[in-house]
Amino acid sequence: MSNAWRSSRVTFGSLLGLLLLAGTPSLVFAADHLEQIKQAGVLLWGADAEGGAPYVYPSPEHPEQLTGFEYDLAEALAAKLGVKAKMVQNQWDQLIPALDRGNFDIVLNGLELTADNQQHIAMSRPYYVYTQQLVTRRETEGLTNIDNLKGKAVGVLSASVAQRLLEKTPGVDLRLYPGNVESFRDLKAKRIEAVVLDLPIALFYAKPDPALKFSGDPFAPGYYGIGVRKQDATLLAALNQAIVELAEDHTLERIYQKYGVWDERQVALKDYHPEVVEQRKSISTIRDWRTYLPLLLRGAVITIEISVLGMALAVVAGLALVLTRLYAVAPLRWLAQVYVEVIRGTPLLIQLFFIYYGLPEIGIRLQAFPAAILGLGLNYAAYEAENYRAGIEAIPRGQTEAAQALGMTRWQSLQHIILPQAFRLVIPPITNDFIALFKDSSIVSVITMVELTKVYGMLAMSTYDYIGLGLMTATIYFALSYPASIFANWLEKRLRYDRR
Amino acid sequence: MIAVENLVKSYNSNRVLHGIDHVQQRGEAAVLIGPSGCGKSTFLRCLNQLEVADSGRISIGGVTIEGGHAPRNAEERDQQRRLRLQAGMVFQSFNLFPHLTVLQNITEAPIVVKNTPREQAETLGRELLAKVGLAAKADAYPAQLSGGQQQRVAIARALAMEPQVMLFDEPTSALDPELRDEVLRVMRQLVEEGMTMIVVTHEMQFARDMADRVVFFDGGVVAESGPPEQIFGDPRNERLREFVKRVTTQ
Repeated sequence: MSNAWRSSRVTFGSLLGLLLLAGTPSLVFAADHLEQIKQAGVLLWGADAEGGAPYVYPSPEHPEQLTGFEYDLAEALAAKLGVKAKMVQNQWDQLIPALDRGNFDIVLNGLELTADNQQHIAMSRPYYVYTQQLVTRRETEGLTNIDNLKGKAVGVLSASVAQRLLEKTPGVDLRLYPGNVESFRDLKAKRIEAVVLDLPIALFYAKPDPALKFSGDPFAPGYYGIGVRKQDATLLAALNQAIVELAEDHTLERIYQKYGVWDERQVALKDYHPEVVEQRKSISTIRDWRTYLPLLLRGAVITIEISVLGMALAVVAGLALVLTRLYAVAPLRWLAQVYVEVIRGTPLLIQLFFIYYGLPEIGIRLQAFPAAILGLGLNYAAYEAENYRAGIEAIPRGQTEAAQALGMTRWQSLQHIILPQAFRLVIPPITNDFIALFKDSSIVSVITMVELTKVYGMLAMSTYDYIGLGLMTATIYFALSYPASIFANWLEKRLRYDRR
Repeated sequence: MIAVENLVKSYNSNRVLHGIDHVQQRGEAAVLIGPSGCGKSTFLRCLNQLEVADSGRISIGGVTIEGGHAPRNAEERDQQRRLRLQAGMVFQSFNLFPHLTVLQNITEAPIVVKNTPREQAETLGRELLAKVGLAAKADAYPAQLSGGQQQRVAIARALAMEPQVMLFDEPTSALDPELRDEVLRVMRQLVEEGMTMIVVTHEMQFARDMADRVVFFDGGVVAESGPPEQIFGDPRNERLREFVKRVTTQ
């Protein structure tokens, strides 16, 4: 009896193990991943070439080709392994989760050799020594180190060392950017006072710009390393070996000289001794909800503000649009129609970029908050205009005729007869749009608004608890949008006049 | 009170009215009859400018409009509105405002168009509702009423603007037979009070009993016109004779 029980448990256990192995083939061949790469003949390296100079970026002369010191480094590393290198584009602040998922073999893209980064993945020995650089406008005085930045709006790359550094500096109004180009644009547009970032980026983007200057000395040195999955030990060893060889035969120096990022500090690469990284316990944000929920809720407040104000603008502007489109004189009518079609036919993301980064070039500088409301509001206004139009056109012709026969002007009949009936018809579609806008509002993080989804992303990146935080965030979204549909149902019933 | 000269109206290339002349004295009730598609409804809609005539002249209660084009400026729009205020219109499909109560249906136009104070408009509205026998329905919504009740509200709504003339465009055609009488009763009452009226209808009994004059439309012209005894008793026009035979044997 007890033997049978035991043997059945063993069988069950090995079955389960087999199932697990079958479900995750990368685990099965974990030790041989280097062999796999060699067999395939390709080393897939993850990086973000969007605004990625001088690391990896489209060559200005041949935009279909990539260039950059990491591009050359990847080629050199792959050559050492006897394979070809192939870059896989991935948003920078999601490189580590994407590596975890198996989208590529390594991360080679200015990944800092920090304890934070080594919680989830293994990292190679360093291939570059970076420092932080403070960049300001040419005329700015006195902002020479991060202690001067208290009370100032400062831009950093999302998920960068600079972000972590400045989060520890109290009183800084921190703005997070998805790429490197946007922060300098905002610096020049005077939306922010300084940018803190890795020296190579500053060398490429800020140094040649006469409107900007390096303010103070480089500080907070650190290492870039290559990220690999923890189980790929042989690959890691091979990469470490390759880096040592490339340093010794001066290939690294040659590459860095070529892109103007070589400096004396790189000599220190040779003397690197890995520190033992202490593994923290994995974080359960749900268990620690008292810490994380308030942070998410603070993001939710921004989401609500943007959504409500954006929708208010959309409802009012949409009405103005539809009245223009249906009743104004010919050229205005066409303009309104063109507006609706253009807005509906182009991505919201591009409209936001246009408002936030494009308009300052013609002298209109909006802060992120009004720009977000304007972008969402003007976008949804086009959809609301179409909702109103459907509503107005659904009102039978006899209603207008009856109003006119009673002597009402066109405006009076619209105001007292047609629109009140049309409004009721458009409540359901407008509520739907509000709920859609509520969720679309997460897109405004691209213009530095830290709303609910952005807070989720930032916390998830530092805790790796995508599931726990995701559940909390989704619950907040749902808890906010569901009452909106209940309210709409109630309103619709209240305004119903055809009860019998 | 009403004078129409040489009214012409086409839809695209299809000419519907071939030069209608029509003169009517104050207090006179005219009933327009004729086969469907003969242009009688179009004529009525031209009178209060729901359709714009191609040419001709319309004069009601001293307000005159020359046909030919939709109003082009504020002054012409104003003139059009003044003509409309001379005539109250009752539609075949009632066209009550569904989002307003019965009383609000009646008071809305006086308040909005004539700036009548609300209390005064409501007093008038309740009087008119009593007159059409619906005093108890003031706070109901149109959807809660029968078709006959809705049409009586529509009549009260038109009367609230105190027009010189009432125009009825087939007011009972959309109603079940048992609901027609309550509407016709209200219309008879209006004739007896001396209201100037033009009624487009297929109710021959109403025409016979109440009309001062019956006008027979055929193919976009007035084919014959006269007192009901003549039209129904001694029709001269061949087509009218057929029409009368058909409607009286039904």
